[in-house]
Amino acid sequence: MTFQLPLSGSDLLLLAPEIFLTIWLCVVLAVDVTCRHMDHARLAYLSVGGVVATLLLLIGFEYAGVRGALLHDTFVLDGVAIFFKIFIVVATALVLLSSVDYVRSFRLFRGEYYVLIMMSALGMMFMASAQDLLSVFVTLEFSTFGFYVLVAYLRDDQKSGEAGLKFFILGVFAAGLLAYGISLVYGETGTLVFSEMTSMPGSYGLAIGFIMIVAALGFKIGVVPFHSWIPDTYQGAPTPVTAFLSIAPKGAAMAILIRMFYVALATFRPVWVLLFVAIAIVSMTYGNIVAIAQKNIKRLLAYSGIAQIGNVMIGLAAGTKRGSDAILFYLLTYLFANLGAFAVVIGVGNRIKSDEIEDYNGLNRRSPFLAAAMLLFLLSLAGVPPLAGFIGKLYIFVAAIEQELYLLLIVGLVNIVISMYYYLVVVKKMYINEPADPTPLSVSAPLQTAIFVGIAGTLLLGLYPAPFIDWAVAATLMFSNVAVPVAPGG
Amino acid sequence: MLEELPSGFPLLSVILFLPLLGAVALWPQRDADLMKQSALGVAGLELALSAILLYRFIPESAAMQFSERLNWIPALGISYHLAVDGISVLFVPLSAFITVLVLLYSWDAVRDNIKPYLMSLLALETTIMGIFVSIDLILFFVFWELMLVPSYFLIKLWGVGESREDAALKYVLYTLLGSVFMLVGFALLSLNYHHVRDAYSFDFLELLTVPVPVGDQLIIFWLIFMGLAFKAPMFPFHSWLPDALVQGPIGMSVVLAGIKLGTYGFLRFSFPLLPEASTNATVVMLVMGLALAAIVWGAIVAIIQSDFRRLLVFSSISHLGFVVLGLFSLNFQGVQGGLLQMINLGFTTAGLFFFAGFLYDRLGHTQVERCGGLASKMPWLATVLLIIGMASIGLPGTNGFIGEFLVLLGAFQAHWVYGVIAVSGVIFAAAYFLWYYERAIFGPLGAMVPRVLPDLTPRESGIAVALCVMIFWIGLYPSPFLRTMNGSVQEVVDRLSRGSVANHGQARLARSVPPGPAEKDD
Repeated sequence: MTFQLPLSGSDLLLLAPEIFLTIWLCVVLAVDVTCRHMDHARLAYLSVGGVVATLLLLIGFEYAGVRGALLHDTFVLDGVAIFFKIFIVVATALVLLSSVDYVRSFRLFRGEYYVLIMMSALGMMFMASAQDLLSVFVTLEFSTFGFYVLVAYLRDDQKSGEAGLKFFILGVFAAGLLAYGISLVYGETGTLVFSEMTSMPGSYGLAIGFIMIVAALGFKIGVVPFHSWIPDTYQGAPTPVTAFLSIAPKGAAMAILIRMFYVALATFRPVWVLLFVAIAIVSMTYGNIVAIAQKNIKRLLAYSGIAQIGNVMIGLAAGTKRGSDAILFYLLTYLFANLGAFAVVIGVGNRIKSDEIEDYNGLNRRSPFLAAAMLLFLLSLAGVPPLAGFIGKLYIFVAAIEQELYLLLIVGLVNIVISMYYYLVVVKKMYINEPADPTPLSVSAPLQTAIFVGIAGTLLLGLYPAPFIDWAVAATLMFSNVAVPVAPGG
Repeated sequence: MLEELPSGFPLLSVILFLPLLGAVALWPQRDADLMKQSALGVAGLELALSAILLYRFIPESAAMQFSERLNWIPALGISYHLAVDGISVLFVPLSAFITVLVLLYSWDAVRDNIKPYLMSLLALETTIMGIFVSIDLILFFVFWELMLVPSYFLIKLWGVGESREDAALKYVLYTLLGSVFMLVGFALLSLNYHHVRDAYSFDFLELLTVPVPVGDQLIIFWLIFMGLAFKAPMFPFHSWLPDALVQGPIGMSVVLAGIKLGTYGFLRFSFPLLPEASTNATVVMLVMGLALAAIVWGAIVAIIQSDFRRLLVFSSISHLGFVVLGLFSLNFQGVQGGLLQMINLGFTTAGLFFFAGFLYDRLGHTQVERCGGLASKMPWLATVLLIIGMASIGLPGTNGFIGEFLVLLGAFQAHWVYGVIAVSGVIFAAAYFLWYYERAIFGPLGAMVPRVLPDLTPRESGIAVALCVMIFWIGLYPSPFLRTMNGSVQEVVDRLSRGSVANHGQARLARSVPPGPAEKDD
C-alpha cells in the first residue's frame, strides 16, 4: 500500500487557521530575534493579535459552514473540530494575556515563551482534527513537546525543574503506551482511521490496544488513575503554564476521546460506557476528597480539575448524542471559570509571590476586584446557579439521567456538596479572615482583561446559555445516529 | 391545565429584581445613613408594589396570574416563567414586609460593615421573591440555591455567636445536600415529560399536563422531599437550624424562621405534580409521623431551654410540624390551615425573634436565668411580647388560633389520632412560652439585670405595632386571606383527591373534600 497525499489549493483552505498560526509564530520568533530591545509586552500583544486573528478565522469558518477532510481522512474539519479549535484558541489568548506580567520574572528567554505557547496550541488544534490513530500520536506528541519546555521554564526554581522532569518521564511513558496501543489496534484491524474501524469484531488485542490508548489520553486529561503527575506539575510549573495545562490539553484530548469512542468503537458502547462510569466516579470522588486537604491554591485547583474532568466523563458514560453535547458545553463553562480562577492566582502570585491559601487571607480588603472575581469563579466551579457551571452540570446530569445512570448521578451530586466545602474555605479566607499585610494589590491591564473575559463568559454562559448549547448541539450533529439512547422505560 | 392570566406590565419581574437593583445601587454610596435610608426606601417600594400585586390579584381563583414567560434554555425546556396563584401570592408581601422590619431593626443594631450587610439583605430578598414567583422548576431551583450565598455571608459576617463560621458552613452544606436530591427529582419529572412528549420541559404548568407513573412518583417524591425537608427544616433534618438561628444575626434568624420555604415547596410542587405519591398511605403516615414528632419533641425540648433564642428555634421546629401536619391532612381545611399557618409564622415566630433581638441589644444575652422581672423595667416590651407569644400559642382572637384551628380540624378529619397528638403540642407550647415568660419577664427583678433598661424605642415600637396589627387582622378578620388562597387550595385538594382515588383503598381521604369526585368504586 502506497501513501499518496494529494493536496489541492482548496484543501489548503481547510488548514488555513493552522497555517496562519504557524506563520504567525515564525513572525513572532523573527521579531523577537531581530528586535532585541523591544519591550517583551509588545511581543505578547503581537502573539495575542495573531491568536485572536486565528480565532476570527475559525469563527468565520463556523459561520460559513466550512467542512471537509484531508489526507485520506486523517485531518478532518467538522463541527467538533472547529468547536475544540475555538476552545483551544480562546484558552491560548487568555493564557497569553495573563502571562504578560508573569513573564517579567523570567531572566532569559522571554520571547520563546510566547512561541512555545502558540506551538503547543498549534499542536492541540491539530489534535482536534485528528481522525486516525497515527495523527493522534503525532499531534499529541507535537503539542506535548512545547509543554515539556514550558513546565520547566523557571530555571532557578527547583520545583519547576522537578515538575518538568516528572511531566516528561510520565509523558514519555504515556507516549510509549500510546504507540504500543496503536500498533496492537493496527495489528487487529489493519487500519488506523476511526471511520474504517466501525464494523470490526471485538478481540482481546483490540481491547488491550484501546485500553492503552485510553490510558495515554487519560494522562493528558488527568483522570484517576492517570493523574499522579498533576498536583506536582501544576504546583511547580509557572502559573500561566499551569493554567494552560489545566484546560487546553483536556479539550484537545476530549475531542479525540469523543471521536474515538463515538465513531470507531460505537459498536462496543455497552462495554466502554461501564469503563467511563467507573472512571467518572473515581475521579470525582478522589479529586474532591483530596482537594479538601490542600494548602496550596494551585494544588487545590489541580485536584478540583481532576474532579471536574470526572464530571466531564459523565458525558462519555452516558454515551449518547446528548452526552457529547453536554461534554462540549461543560468544557466551555470550565474554560472560563478555571482560567479565570488561575488568572486571579496569577494576579495574586505576581504581587505577593506566594500561592499558599493562607496568603489569601483578607484578599477582599486588599483587592475587592480579585476577591469578587475569585468568588464568582469558585461558585461557578462548584455549580451554584445561575452561573455557567450550574448549567453545565445540569446538562451533563440530564444526559446521565436519560441513561438511568442513577449511581453515577448520586455520586456526582454528593461530590457537588463536597466540592462546595473546599471552595467555601477559600471564600472564607478571602472574605472573613484578616490580612497579614493589608497593602492593596494592583492588577495589571492585560490580566484584568483576561479576568473580565472570564467573568463575562461565566455570567453569559449561565444567564443566556441557549446559543452556546445550540452550538454544542450543532457541532455534534454527526453523532446523532451513532449512539442511540435507550428506549423509554427500557 | 391551569388557566394562565398573562400580565401586561411585568409586575413580577419588577418585584423580583427591584431589591437586587437596590443592592447594586448601594455599591457606590459612602454615607452610612444615606445607605440605610435608600435600602429602606427600596424595601418600602417593594412592599408597596407587592401590596399592589395582592390588591390586583383575583381571589377565589385557581388561575396562575401575572404570568410572564421568556425562553431561557430551549434545549432543555427551561424558561424564565413567573406567575403567582393563591398559594404563592401571600408570600410576596409577607417577604417584603419582613424585609422592611429587618431593615428597621438593623438600623442601630448592626454597626459594622453596614453596606455589605444591606446589600446582602436586599439580594436575599430578591432570591426569596424568586422562590415564590418562579413556576419553572429550574428557575425556582436557581433562586433556591442562590439564596444560600447572601445567607452564608449574613450568618458568617454579622453573626453574634462564637461558632458562626461553622454554623454558616453547616447551613450551606446541609441545604445543598438536600437540594441536589431535589434537582434529581426535578430532572426525573422532566424526563418523564420527555418520554411522553419527546421534548424536555421544566415548566410547572407543562409538567402538570403529563401524568407520572405511580412508581416513579414515589421516587421523585422522596427526592424532592429531601430538598424541602432540609430547607424547611423538618425533624429530623433540622440539626443546622439551632446553629444558624442562634449564631447568626437576628435579621437572618427572622428571615429563616419566618419565611417557610420548605413547606411552601410541598404545596407548590409535590402535591400538584405527584398527587398519587402524596396521598400514598405509607408516605402520608411517615410524613405525619415526622410532623407529630416535630410538634411534640420540639415543644418538649423548647421547655428545657435556658436561652430564649434556642427556645424559639425549637418552638419554630414544633410550629413547622403543625404546618406539615395540616398540609398532609390532604383535605381542604388542613391544607388551608397549613398555608395560613405558614403566613402566620412570618408574623409570630419572626416577631418573637425580633424580641429576642431587642433583649439581646439591651442585655447582651438572652439567657433566662440572668433575667427576671423585666416587666417592671420595660412594661411596653413585656406587653407586646406577651401578645405575640399568645399568638404563637394560638390564643383565640390572634392569627395563630385560626391557623392551628384549621390545621387541627384537618388533622382530626384525616385521623383522630393525629389530632389528639397534635393538641398535646398546643399544650406544651403554652407551657414553654408561659414558663419562660414567668421566669424572665415577671417575678422579682433579677440580680444580674442592669439598673437602667430603656423600654422600646419608637423604631422598635413601630415593628411591634406592625406585627400586632397583622396578628389581630388575621385573627379577627381572616376571610380576605382565606379568600385569596381558597381557589388554589381547592385546585390542589382536587388534584390530591383524584390521586387518592387512583390509589386503591384511599377513598377515606377523598371523602372529606366537599366537591370531590366519586368515592372509590373501580
